[in-house]
Amino acid sequence: MYRIRFHGRGGQGMKMASHILGTAFFLAGFEVQDAPRFGAERRGAPIFAYVRAQKAPIKERGIISHPGLVLVADESLVPLPAAGILHGVEETTVLFLNSREGGAVWKARLNFPGTVLALDLIGNDLNQPGGQRFFGAICAGAAAALTGVIPEDVLMQAIEDELIHVEAIVVQENKTRARAAFLAMQDKAGIVEEGSGVKVDGYRRPAWIDVPLDDAGLAAPAIHGRRTSELMKTGAWRLRKPVIDTCRCKGCWWVCSTFCPDSAIVVESGRPRIDYDHCKGCMICMVQCSSHAISLVNEKEEVSGE
Amino acid sequence: MKITDSAFKKPKDLPGLHILSAGTSICAGCGGLQAIHEILDILGPKTVTVNAAGCMSLLSVYPFTPFSGSWLYTAMASAPAGAQGVRDALDRLLATKKIAADEDMQVVVLSGDGSATGIGLSATSGAIDRRLDFIYICYDNEGYGNTGQQSSGGTPHGARTTTSRGEQGYCGHKKDLFSIWKANHPAYLATVSGAEPLDLARKIEKARAIKGPSLIIAFSPCPTGWHFPPQESIEIGRLAVRTGVWPLKEYEDGKVVHTKIPAGRLPVTEYLQKQGRFAHLFHPGNAYLIKEMQADVDAYWDCVEKSAATGR
Repeated sequence: MYRIRFHGRGGQGMKMASHILGTAFFLAGFEVQDAPRFGAERRGAPIFAYVRAQKAPIKERGIISHPGLVLVADESLVPLPAAGILHGVEETTVLFLNSREGGAVWKARLNFPGTVLALDLIGNDLNQPGGQRFFGAICAGAAAALTGVIPEDVLMQAIEDELIHVEAIVVQENKTRARAAFLAMQDKAGIVEEGSGVKVDGYRRPAWIDVPLDDAGLAAPAIHGRRTSELMKTGAWRLRKPVIDTCRCKGCWWVCSTFCPDSAIVVESGRPRIDYDHCKGCMICMVQCSSHAISLVNEKEEVSGE
Repeated sequence: MKITDSAFKKPKDLPGLHILSAGTSICAGCGGLQAIHEILDILGPKTVTVNAAGCMSLLSVYPFTPFSGSWLYTAMASAPAGAQGVRDALDRLLATKKIAADEDMQVVVLSGDGSATGIGLSATSGAIDRRLDFIYICYDNEGYGNTGQQSSGGTPHGARTTTSRGEQGYCGHKKDLFSIWKANHPAYLATVSGAEPLDLARKIEKARAIKGPSLIIAFSPCPTGWHFPPQESIEIGRLAVRTGVWPLKEYEDGKVVHTKIPAGRLPVTEYLQKQGRFAHLFHPGNAYLIKEMQADVDAYWDCVEKSAATGR
């Protein structure tokens, strides 16, 4: 059975990616399951979706814990424990990243047991309004190629079937990216193999349970406490962040602080300060600042510049 | 209350410290949250929020809360009934001297347009009949946003939603919640926009001071459901006012007053073209829909100007 997991952020088309791949498998004669898991169900928050496919009826249910292929639309998700990208990976697992860095870099960095493939099809999509929604098509295209059992024309048909309610131009954009990923990964066709069935009688209770460590305040907050949502670091949703140039800031704090939906710009001694633990990167402050003192910095660029 | 009596005369009178804390699971760039945080800044920390099911259910996901005061979650149809119970309990505690007068709380209903214009309307009507002392805040994102932007009673004519995918969009018309409430003679009634924070602050200041049922309808641009980049939320709120699509007005002592009459109204296309939900209106064959929208807006403001001229 093929067990495939897509990881991305809300708004990057992960649900659509699993639908497209699921439909493509179906058109290629497979029995299919595909389902998304939303978590916070909000744009920018980590989500995943998964696909199971085999020629016989599928009796397995629930989240895939031993994936044959993991696809990551957004490399900034890798270090987030909540995203769970490395959950259950094995020597036979193939990891695919839509990343500006190569597969060898990621394999070493993550000490990944299986094969790691990376492809940079990010292009300008990261900064175009709504551009990130095409990341799903890239992952679906790559997945189809890596299984080696879905021909290109079937993949294209699946995209048309799944995007039937969408404008023709958007369908075309999705196809272009899926095709590019498909062709780039074609020489690796068949690298993802069908995993064996999971037998109930072979199940062994794990010797230990992995519990991620949270702050005591987060793990057991006072339920009568005020403003406890501050413990949730929604800054992890962000791909881009606003940065205030203190030399250009004229101290008219009310604009950025009032217009920030998330109360993430605090005013201290008449000066605004961005609370990066919580800023979701909506960039309203940058657009509204009349003295153009706020600029956009991609999170990734800052990390590599350090 | 005149503007000169208001504590909010200039932008720097707006609060720089925010009552609603960060860290909520609401979409980046949410126009609804943006307006609600401005409203709560003025209402202060002593509020009990009764929340009808909707996007803002996610404000307070157990065990975390952004509020300083209490929060009560109700089904979509029954937030004003929940508010009645909270108000009665507070009154009882005051009457039996179990809490001091300065420990009293403002009871606030928080609901989306789906509940405010549809599912929750009958409980609302009952609460107004009983002259319940509460402030009803409707964040109007013109659809059932939490479940993927299906059309609601608040959806404007022609908008594309997940349940109005056709070439002409939503065939119904946006319900006039302001007039529905007005016909019930509330204590106070106002429309606000987070993009106009001073106008908003003055109205909330009034609603807080007046006893009896009050409604605040907050324009809430929704990047996820209306299909625009999150950074545009405020600009779209401002364009809604400048094109005349979202009139800023209030009702008090039996009279409606427009608090901001846009001078030299921009064409509605300036507002429509920024949003994916209206993109199909610019297809050939749909020009008549835009014309109709412009005519509706023009007719509304003609009527406002006429009634201003005759003093009625």
